[in-house]
Amino acid sequence: MENNVLILGAIFIPLAGAITTLIFSRNNRAQRYIALGASIVAWLCSIGVLLMTLDEGPQTYRMGDWTPPFGIVMVADLLSALFVVMSSTVLLGGILYAVHCRDKCVTHPAFMALFLSMETGLLGAFYTGDIFTLFVFMELLVLSSVSLVAISDNRLGLEAAIKYIFISSMGTLFLLLGIAAIYATFGTLNFADLSRQLSTGERPLLARPAAVMLMGAFLLKSAVFPFHWWQPDFHTTAPTPVHAVLSSVVVKIGVYGMIRMTTLLFIEEADLIRDWLLVLGVVSIFFGSLGALQTYDGKRMLAYSTFGQIGFILLGIAWGTPLALVAAIVYAFNHAFIKSAMLMLMGVVSSRTKTKTARFSEIAGVGTKMPWMIGALYLLGGMALAGVPPMNGFISKLALVRSGIHAEQWVSVGLAVGAGLITLIYTSRTWQHVFQRKPDETTVKLKDTGGDSMLAPGLLIGACIVLGLYATPLYDVAEQTVDQLRNPQNYIEAVDPALWNGDRYASGQPDIFGG
Amino acid sequence: MDVIFALATGALFGLGVFQILRRDLIKAAMGFAILFTAINLFIFATGAYDSDVAAYTDQIENGQVSDPLVQALVLTAIVVSFGALALLLAVVNIVSARYETLDSDQVDALQK
Repeated sequence: MENNVLILGAIFIPLAGAITTLIFSRNNRAQRYIALGASIVAWLCSIGVLLMTLDEGPQTYRMGDWTPPFGIVMVADLLSALFVVMSSTVLLGGILYAVHCRDKCVTHPAFMALFLSMETGLLGAFYTGDIFTLFVFMELLVLSSVSLVAISDNRLGLEAAIKYIFISSMGTLFLLLGIAAIYATFGTLNFADLSRQLSTGERPLLARPAAVMLMGAFLLKSAVFPFHWWQPDFHTTAPTPVHAVLSSVVVKIGVYGMIRMTTLLFIEEADLIRDWLLVLGVVSIFFGSLGALQTYDGKRMLAYSTFGQIGFILLGIAWGTPLALVAAIVYAFNHAFIKSAMLMLMGVVSSRTKTKTARFSEIAGVGTKMPWMIGALYLLGGMALAGVPPMNGFISKLALVRSGIHAEQWVSVGLAVGAGLITLIYTSRTWQHVFQRKPDETTVKLKDTGGDSMLAPGLLIGACIVLGLYATPLYDVAEQTVDQLRNPQNYIEAVDPALWNGDRYASGQPDIFGG
Repeated sequence: MDVIFALATGALFGLGVFQILRRDLIKAAMGFAILFTAINLFIFATGAYDSDVAAYTDQIENGQVSDPLVQALVLTAIVVSFGALALLLAVVNIVSARYETLDSDQVDALQK
């Protein structure tokens, strides 16, 4: 089994970039371009890994050439590779936006370093095949995003940061407790080895509590219904480029974890997990959509909307048929692009107001003073979010509803379609509010000072249109992903064929302890 | 010995949960540290099979040597928790300066 260096490139080049930006802490311009360069390289690496995975099957990297399950192994099967491509693209968009952003926090010497370490945490968490490394990367992700929100232009960012660091620390602590329980029970930390041992159907005392704790941690990361209360506050007060990343790809880490839980690890308990996810998904959809409908702030509306959209993805995972999983993956992929573009446009709008917030009372009519491009892009993004053809949002909604009808889940399909209509109401209402009203002269800077980045949201919306008009490649890749997920043997053999054959355990437990 | 260790871990865990739910932000941060220590002790316990033999030794009189991996895990977890605690205390420090209180009920500008 060859070691694929590109996997390490995607994870550690952003980290190297973060350290380099700290060396240039006096030169803000250099910092921005170093960050941009590092994220472009990481993006190219992630594309390369996806292409190689499609071509040759899952790629791995064994740290220090230790044979699994003893060392740390990075695994890029199609699911991880696809999620990493999604994340690195959106993160590249976020940095592209930050390069031209006029918010004050972007000039903070540590901003780019924190952004890049967030990228390391996120991509590492998707690639890792070792559950303890997952904990380390997730903690890195949490710490860098908390710091980024604490230095936000919005003064309330600090309060949101302290809220989130307490909640999320509890989440990671329970993840650690779950990991300890798993290690105590199965004596392994490797996903593949764990999956092999769980597939025997034996459930020692601590196995099921560990599953509960892992699920709790993943639900908290995705801000699903009972664990959602931190999300609108934390996301709304974040700086725009950070909000665009948090609300679109960072929340997907829980989605990824739940797909892994139901298809790789706890397959026997999957039905029970799915029943729970179905209920939580429907509640999330309604909580999120209705919250978005009645809120007072444009960014907060989009944060609530993310909460609802995650609910749609959970429905796909909860139905659990191969078709529904394809739909969930397509939905997650498309939603990342739509939501990040929408948030960047909302950030452009809010930076025109004197208070730099996106409160509806202040952003009314701001758009009439801006280039028509921004209004057009926002309209396209809103259409995509609501699922109107020809945008990619339509494809993902269509795939989801079709899979739901196939699975004969009439109640949840009906509820999902109904909630989809609410999305249409709130996106079109904000568009009218921002781009059609007469502006209030007291709150808006009428003179256009220029310099806002339309490049990043433009590219992301462009990607939305392309993925909407020509959706076959993405759908095909998602289908192949689900084919790979259907049998955990694929993952285990990719990590180490000997692990699956059981050769390594021929003589009972491995004798690494020397006793 | 095992029973005492288990009781101590459980007591620390309970204490940590109690502290983290307090209104005072500093006490909550200390609760976080205690909770992390409790979980570290739990991880540590999973590797000590029977009696207290060191991980790498050739002088085994009774029992089996301990698992060295959990000691590496605990070490990593300590470093991670130290970083998290440092950031948490830094944020608490700025919050206390800006809001002039440590009562988490009074840090409520987001509700308005």
